[in-house]
Amino acid sequence: MTMHKFTIPVGPQHPALKEPESFLVTLSGEKIMKFSARLGYNHRGIEKACEERTYTQDVYLTERICGICSHSHSTCFVQAVEEIAGAVVPNRALYIRTIIAELERIHSHLLWLGVAGHEVGFDTLLMYTWRDRELVMDILALTTGNRVNYGINTIGGVRRDLTSDQIKKTLNAMDKLEERTKYYIQIATEETTLIKRLSGVGVLSHKDAVKLGAVGPTARASGVDRDVRRDDPYAAYDQIKFKVITDNHNDVYGRTLVRMGELMECYNMIRQLLKNLPEGPITVKVPRKIPAGEATSRYEAPRGEDVHYVKSNGTEKPERVKVRAPTLANIQTVAKMLEDRQLADLPIVIAAIDPCFSCTDRLTVLKDSDSGKKRVMKWEDLHHYSIEWHLKHGVDFSGLNSKLSAKLAKVK
Amino acid sequence: MSKEEEILQALVKKFGFLENRIKTQRPRRILADVDIGNFKTLLDYAVKELRFPILLTMTGLDEGEKIAVIYHMASEDGCILNIRTAIAKVNPSLKTITDIFPNADIYERELEDLLGIKVDGLAPGNRYPLPDGWPAGEYPLRKDWKKNKEKVGDDHA
Amino acid sequence: MGLVKKIVTWARIKSPWIIHFNTGACNACDIEIIAALTPRYDLERFGVQLKGTPRHADVLVCSGPVTRQIKDRLVRIYEQMPAPKFVVAVGTCACTGGVFDGCYNVESGIDQVIPVAAYIPGCPASPKAIIDGVVKLLSSLEESEKK
Repeated sequence: MTMHKFTIPVGPQHPALKEPESFLVTLSGEKIMKFSARLGYNHRGIEKACEERTYTQDVYLTERICGICSHSHSTCFVQAVEEIAGAVVPNRALYIRTIIAELERIHSHLLWLGVAGHEVGFDTLLMYTWRDRELVMDILALTTGNRVNYGINTIGGVRRDLTSDQIKKTLNAMDKLEERTKYYIQIATEETTLIKRLSGVGVLSHKDAVKLGAVGPTARASGVDRDVRRDDPYAAYDQIKFKVITDNHNDVYGRTLVRMGELMECYNMIRQLLKNLPEGPITVKVPRKIPAGEATSRYEAPRGEDVHYVKSNGTEKPERVKVRAPTLANIQTVAKMLEDRQLADLPIVIAAIDPCFSCTDRLTVLKDSDSGKKRVMKWEDLHHYSIEWHLKHGVDFSGLNSKLSAKLAKVK
Repeated sequence: MSKEEEILQALVKKFGFLENRIKTQRPRRILADVDIGNFKTLLDYAVKELRFPILLTMTGLDEGEKIAVIYHMASEDGCILNIRTAIAKVNPSLKTITDIFPNADIYERELEDLLGIKVDGLAPGNRYPLPDGWPAGEYPLRKDWKKNKEKVGDDHA
Repeated sequence: MGLVKKIVTWARIKSPWIIHFNTGACNACDIEIIAALTPRYDLERFGVQLKGTPRHADVLVCSGPVTRQIKDRLVRIYEQMPAPKFVVAVGTCACTGGVFDGCYNVESGIDQVIPVAAYIPGCPASPKAIIDGVVKLLSSLEESEKK
């Protein structure tokens, strides 16, 4: 029997990523031969819009580049502007920025863990992590006034102070979350089904990770020891102690372990920051017109390194704002990860570089290149196909799902 | 001497053309301004000898007469070397650096779409980030570009 | 015939099937929509079920200001849904374009492209607001059926 080559467009949009995109996957049988991405579905023209608005407006605009790491982009932007303006931001403001940044990392990593669970057919994990995630969402709402898009940054500091009541509640939530995370780590390291399903999937060697410029947990899971928080410290990161988590599994399993390890570090960092929170003002006045200059700012977002370049021209509007989001760096590694892999691994490999996934329909057209026949396949079908395929190959989460429920009942 | 000062001294010593065209912006930030002819030499040296193995991104700037391109490079210990070069605004073109940094691909496509810089040697592929059917010759990040309803389409059609 | 229609209406109101589509949002509204479907808020207790395909859905939940690249795909998805169909715009961007109004690559709101039945403002709309919007849409359906 001759193998037909199939070309499958997956798309038009993949909302797991900040840049929705469509993929063109060429298959031989079930094996992926070629993978190419068409990005730009989410291009809104923010860089141009930033040039047309004032610096203060741009803080809120950059916050809306991405709703999951909104604090990352706004912090990265204000850091650049503050550097040009020569503003010395009060230490208390830097601490509060760092606290919000780590809270954001917690919500983002928990979100990712749930999504990863969903993609491999372990939906119980999705429901549990998203329930736990609400704890950190409550803290974010309490301290910043909004669950997402916190609006805490302003040029020259932060807009809201922390009260002792908020600090107490945050510490409480950290304890609860730490306990839950330990439990998830136990599942990830002991449950053979999960380990079997994630190991060896989406392999990205150390060499390729360096060559293709991978960032964040994707890079660190391939043994690339890079973290902007340590290498090029900003905000209050030079004033606290933390470990950079790396792993040598080079696969989705490694990426899971790195994110879990980072969660544990987050709790420690927040405790340190809250304990040493300095007294003093939370903002410094920065003139509306920023003197001419330019600055490059980096920030370790939950997904990896975020880079902003800002150029000012002495007016109240910037001359140029350039944004490089971490996913743009990581998406280029996906083609490598999928080379010679099964179609069934596509969902988890794509989800593994970036955590957010909303269950939108993706219209997938299967095209037989020989007969020219087309078959429409939805993302949902691909997701089911992936689970079924692995079920046939011995990966079954049904036992684990009920085991998890039984364990949780005991905890209650 | 701090890290960035050391790098700056090494560069000035090696390349005469950098005299008075390189400065440290703040700790861990260096900005070098080079002519397009010298760019590749400096880039190679920075990658191989000075250990700047990471390409963070590329920024294109419309400066009126010319278009400037800044290559943001980073080292393992957190230094950023911004190499800035300028090209003519009429038929601007650049040579690709995907031979050194495969990940430059997407950043170069962005320059092509948003500023209309022709990047020589870029492998064929999908455009990024503008939509299909975007009119040719419209480059939104150029300063003289205004949203033109007839060309780009009406918002409230 | 009257009885069948009554049952269909009852079923539609008691268990609307939704499809979620990101039309260029920043993802904030999208994660809040998912949060509304997970245990804390649990939209499923109102019978709301998330579906993977527009052909099964009654309600299209959109977030985002509609980018030019996504516009045709949004129309296509809307056309694939069986009638009667309703569109819910979640978030300020989806309602009016929000902070992205005037950007060169956005259409400034879902209603510029397809008809919208309910607007849920907020940046992002909180899960509580999303639930409120969905319940209000359902009760308005109930009333219009009575008339």
